[in-house]
Amino acid sequence: MTVLGGIGFSTPWLLLGLLALPILWLILRAIPPAPVRRRFPGVSLLLGLKDDEAVSDRTPWWLLLLRMLALAALIVGLAGPVLNPQQDKTGSGPVLIVLDASWAGAPRWGARMDLLDAYLAEAGRAGRLVALLSLTAPEGLNFQSADIWRSRLPGVVPAPWQPTEAQLQSAGTAIAEVEGGFDTLWLSDALAYPGRAPLLAALQARGALRVVETGQPVLGIAPVGFEDGAVQLTLQRSDPGPAREVTILAQGRDPAGTARVLVSLPTRFDDGATQVTAALSLPAELRARITRFEIQGQQSAGAMTLADDRLRRREVALIAGREDREGLELLSPLHYLKQALAPTADLLEGALLDLLPANPDVIVMADVATLSQAEQEALTGWIEKGGLLLRFAGPRLAASDMGRTEEHPLMPVRLRSGGRTVGGAMSWGEPKSLAPFSPGSPFAGLPIPEDVRVRAQVMAQPDPVLADRVIAALSDGTPLVTRKRLGQGQVVLFHVTANAEWSSLPLSGLFVQMLERLAVSSSAKPPEAGDLAGTTWRPVQVMDGFGVLREAANLPGVAGEALAGAPLGPDLRPGIYDDGERRLARNVLGVEAVLTPATWPDNVPVETLSGTPERPLGGPLLALALLLLGIDVIAALALGGRLMPSRGRIAALAAALLLTGLLVGLPDAPALAQEAPSAAETDFAIAATQELTLAHVLTGNAKLDDIAQAGLRGLSDTLFFRTSVEPAAPIGVDLERDELAFFPILYWPITPEQPRPSDAAYARLNAYLRSGGMILFDTRDANIASFGAASPNGRKLQDLAAPLDIPPLEPLPRDHVLTRTFYLLQDFPGRHAEGRIWVEAAPPGAEQIEGMPFRNLNDGVTPVVIGGNDWAGAWAVDRDGRPLLPVGRGFSGERQRELALRFGVNLIMHVLTGNYKSDQVHVPALLDRLGQ
Amino acid sequence: MTSPSALRERAEVEAARLPPLLARAEHLAGTVLLGEHGRRRAGQGDDFWQYRPAQPGDSRRMIDHRRSARGDQQFVREREWQIAQSVMLWVDQGASMRFASGDTLPSKADRARLLALALSILLIQGGERVGLTGSALPPRRGRDQILRLTEAFSHDDPTDYAPPEHRAMIPHARAVFLSDFLGDLGEVERALTKAADRGVRGVLLQVLDPAEESFPFQGRTIFESVGGTLRHETLKAGDLRDRYKARLAARRDRLAALCRVTGWRLSQHHTGDSAQSALLWLYRALDGGTA
Repeated sequence: MTVLGGIGFSTPWLLLGLLALPILWLILRAIPPAPVRRRFPGVSLLLGLKDDEAVSDRTPWWLLLLRMLALAALIVGLAGPVLNPQQDKTGSGPVLIVLDASWAGAPRWGARMDLLDAYLAEAGRAGRLVALLSLTAPEGLNFQSADIWRSRLPGVVPAPWQPTEAQLQSAGTAIAEVEGGFDTLWLSDALAYPGRAPLLAALQARGALRVVETGQPVLGIAPVGFEDGAVQLTLQRSDPGPAREVTILAQGRDPAGTARVLVSLPTRFDDGATQVTAALSLPAELRARITRFEIQGQQSAGAMTLADDRLRRREVALIAGREDREGLELLSPLHYLKQALAPTADLLEGALLDLLPANPDVIVMADVATLSQAEQEALTGWIEKGGLLLRFAGPRLAASDMGRTEEHPLMPVRLRSGGRTVGGAMSWGEPKSLAPFSPGSPFAGLPIPEDVRVRAQVMAQPDPVLADRVIAALSDGTPLVTRKRLGQGQVVLFHVTANAEWSSLPLSGLFVQMLERLAVSSSAKPPEAGDLAGTTWRPVQVMDGFGVLREAANLPGVAGEALAGAPLGPDLRPGIYDDGERRLARNVLGVEAVLTPATWPDNVPVETLSGTPERPLGGPLLALALLLLGIDVIAALALGGRLMPSRGRIAALAAALLLTGLLVGLPDAPALAQEAPSAAETDFAIAATQELTLAHVLTGNAKLDDIAQAGLRGLSDTLFFRTSVEPAAPIGVDLERDELAFFPILYWPITPEQPRPSDAAYARLNAYLRSGGMILFDTRDANIASFGAASPNGRKLQDLAAPLDIPPLEPLPRDHVLTRTFYLLQDFPGRHAEGRIWVEAAPPGAEQIEGMPFRNLNDGVTPVVIGGNDWAGAWAVDRDGRPLLPVGRGFSGERQRELALRFGVNLIMHVLTGNYKSDQVHVPALLDRLGQ
Repeated sequence: MTSPSALRERAEVEAARLPPLLARAEHLAGTVLLGEHGRRRAGQGDDFWQYRPAQPGDSRRMIDHRRSARGDQQFVREREWQIAQSVMLWVDQGASMRFASGDTLPSKADRARLLALALSILLIQGGERVGLTGSALPPRRGRDQILRLTEAFSHDDPTDYAPPEHRAMIPHARAVFLSDFLGDLGEVERALTKAADRGVRGVLLQVLDPAEESFPFQGRTIFESVGGTLRHETLKAGDLRDRYKARLAARRDRLAALCRVTGWRLSQHHTGDSAQSALLWLYRALDGGTA
């Protein structure tokens, strides 16, 4: 097999066919088919139309390219290409398999084992002896048959640490003990660690070395921090690859005690970044329940960080004796406590009985001597359930009789009255410094600053139990801090004040450290070795390499210094440690840890685990060639205009492309829209005023608007043919937008669902009515309910017309001028024949003169005509002049339609000529025509 | 297809499908202009024709009280229907009309003749005078005129796009032009303005093949007129579709404008549609124009 560019070919000489492609290019440039001759009378309209210039006689280049691609795919496919061709790797002689077997390899441990299993099977077939060396748990090399190792594979698990120097040394020793050469397969976890180079050299000296890596970056999570009220989570990755989404899960127990994911926080490695920090702001109650954070989908100890006391912000209640003076903040008994605790604890202040139901972790009482009976009982109960009462002495405590003669339950010791002052103006001696802490004290190991001096203190009565209760003392042996257990809780007394009045202890860093040791506060940072000096920690739960926690059982305790600083190993496993009061987590990654990818010398072949088995590419390529040729057929047909059946599909495609183009070009559209209205308004005005135009109000109901339009068209046609009024095509008017002044009459059909016009539209409607316009309201319901009653259209009309400036109305009187402006009419049917219509009421003074058929009503064209006969329906014609809707039945129906049209003619005449026909001059002629 | 007897037979069939039209001739009375002499049937006119008993459907207003008061029965006074019209037809006989885009479709000329003849039959049945524009066949009435019209419609004109015949138009007559109007519109304009000058009003019916409306052609094509006088070659006929349609619409708009100016009426008819609807429209259009 020949390998070209990572792809092997079984018959590479076939590739020479690719050289023929340029020749094919020339051959394939075929001419499109001969034209079709068609007889077509419409050719007179085609004369002078030019084709797009883009169309040419030649085959378009993209079609040629398509064909070339198809042929190239065919040639390459027939040459038998194979992706990832397997080279022959079999060897002979013994082989050593080295495993890093650290937590970093845990996420793809299964794949590693599969690979190892396959390799062992191959080695077994080749009869090679195999030895396995786990660097995290080195043993002497034992070359055995591969099958034996295969049966032992399930026992090989990753350790939750990187190979330590001691382990590497013993591994080197084991290699040195073996005689003779061997090949080596190193399953690396792709993380660098010190001491790798000598081992590498030793292995290379023995024979061929091959390295297999996962090919995927190792992810890790650093211990959580707490800043600005939010949990800070830092993720690391070994390889600055492309951007990657990662989800952090916060595991914990819900209020019911069930372990579950409490919070899921998605975050993202930026392109090229190896570190990302995410902040997680949580309620304290929820935060306290979190036991660990882990990276979703990464089953390794490094991708998990355990939460300890640092996440738990303790609630500390501060209670001081009564303060009589205002404004002296630095003298306040609580000032230094607040300063020391505020960064790491939640402080509560208030009355004791108010604070106790909140169940604080710690209650601090600074110079509080007397407690009421109720307070004392409640406080005692709280301590016995596990509370910590921290008391500070002060002048009041020194002056009180509390715990003088017998031990007070809320005091660790009895006090002597008065207390003492050393190194003052009226006393002998120097201010005292602190004695080193005894090993049994919780403060053991803390360094004592030189400048801490105590000038005054309260003194403890010597008692048999006093020695047990002292946990800190002055250099002369007098107790400084005493402690007493009470139920599950404890009472601690500092024999000095909480401010700097009696000592400089609150001014020093030791004060904060002491509070931490007493678990009054918890540090936001992982403890330094010095902080933990002298303590011993018992492992509670430890992690294995996959990040699974299990009970520590009988693992030995760990010294505090080691817990803080020593590298992980078999003696110090990651997990949760306990010293009685506090819980500390030791995680795989430290705060400062950086994941460094392993680098290998150039002469070491490195393979990735993701190396896939060889895959022949011939089939897909041949399929591609077929597909391309199929496309070519369709494209060639389309070019030749022979693709008649799927013309619709192509049109749809073109429409889709056009739409896409429009969408792409859309950003320009709003700019155009800004310009448009003025031009549109001008066009509208010109269209409406060029000829007399009838108009109807657009109701938003498309069907109704169409009927109104068709009705006015029918009326316009009738007027055109019968009268000298020759209207243009009617126009639908949008009350919100269009100018109304151009129209002599508006036809307004009423429908219950039409929207109410805006106030601005009403203002324009009123201006229109006042300046001589007329609105014909048509409820279209045959006025079945008479006006004002319950018809929905009638109610809607009332609603719509309420804001309009409409004069008093009356039913149309028999002598109204509408009855005789063009035709002599007595009723005004539309599609409905009943129903009265209402017009402006005649002035009160209009009296009929004896002998005259009409009153003299010369003024006032009615601004509104209201009826319900659906006139537009009767008038409506289609574009060819055929009536759209049936009216009545048969012959009488046609008569009714005729009368409806006559009413329309009369109405328009009334609008256009006003009360001209009401003039008494016409009476003789009218009487003559009436035939009476 | 165009043998005179066959054409007439089919036209008779087409006209026979319109008994409702005959019934609506009554309705015609309401809108037709009153003419010079009576039609010897009841209708809208000034002269008394007859009394007839009132029937259901007559409005009470139509009852003649003077006559009815003499007895118990109610009578309606009918007046004589008075109308007189000469209708002149022009049917485009040009070669462009002899086009049908499919085997199932009639040619445009066929459809136009059918419509013209059916209309003639209706009008002559109504007693009006029907003839051709020009001096060849002046308007006359009677069944024989139908035969003469049939004869005249069976002659093909070899011209590709025939101009409308507008000579010898009788003043104040009505005219009906049936054509595809794909030829020179100047000729149409001349004919219409001349007609308008003489007070002749009428209707234009544009008869088109569906293919002429939709232009369903693709690919490289040479288009030729039916007479062979015009040709146009294109590489992508599909690209011309929109521009063709725009030109067709523009032509239609110009015809509509022309009609508006001269008081004529315009409609389209596609050979794929029913001939009856076009006939109905023609008949109504002739009514409406007289009102």
